[in-house]
Amino acid sequence: MELSLNHRKEGDKTVLEVAGEVDVYTAPKLREKLVELVGEGHYKIIVDMTKVEFLDSTGLGVLVGGLKRVRAHDGTLALVCNQERILKIFRITGLTKVFPIHDTLDEALQDQG
Amino acid sequence: MSGDVELHLPPDVQYVGLARLVVCSAARQAGMAGDRVEDLRIAVSEATTNAILAHQRASETRPVVLTFGPTERGTFEVAITDAGPGFEPASPGSAAGRDWRDENGLGVTLIRGLADEVDFTRGEGMRVHMRFAMELDGEHV
Repeated sequence: MELSLNHRKEGDKTVLEVAGEVDVYTAPKLREKLVELVGEGHYKIIVDMTKVEFLDSTGLGVLVGGLKRVRAHDGTLALVCNQERILKIFRITGLTKVFPIHDTLDEALQDQG
Repeated sequence: MSGDVELHLPPDVQYVGLARLVVCSAARQAGMAGDRVEDLRIAVSEATTNAILAHQRASETRPVVLTFGPTERGTFEVAITDAGPGFEPASPGSAAGRDWRDENGLGVTLIRGLADEVDFTRGEGMRVHMRFAMELDGEHV
């Protein structure tokens, strides 16, 4: 099981592309990456989950942790996700009200939030 | 559950992926619909993660045990048993009233939201018994 993470700047935003499975085994890698990005001053983060094959509550917890970190710097953390099976777990846990969730990366980049 | 399969996993988080793979393959083979398999995949991941972490917190080296299979009443059931002190299943069962900053209890919220029925039984450790209909009934989120 692999988790791959790649980030790049897009204007004033930072896009973190996540691909693979995010669970209790791989989530520490995602947590470290978010901590590292915020530590380097990236406060407007878009997590692109288009290529995420699996995400459970451990992954949700890491995203919540990332959101708390950027908010401490008046930043934002938005998600790109168009997969129903993943959106479903955001709905069940009430996190659709917490994260801006976009269908496409373009939409997320155009959002002024 | 009749004709059940048992899977014994060392209490190491690297095996959560194996649990998902094995249980979901069995469910698919038993005729479970694709969208239901995705619900099962998350619920198995949550319950197995909780069980393995409970063993680790208690320095318990015995395996976590998953028992699963289709039933005569047309459901697919999974029981996950650990020997650790366990988590508190009384933690928030729904999104209502949850504070988003609280990262704990998300797993139990998902299990309750995805399984058709779930029982948490405290014995020596914790036993989580989940029942899934083979098809989505439309009443779910």
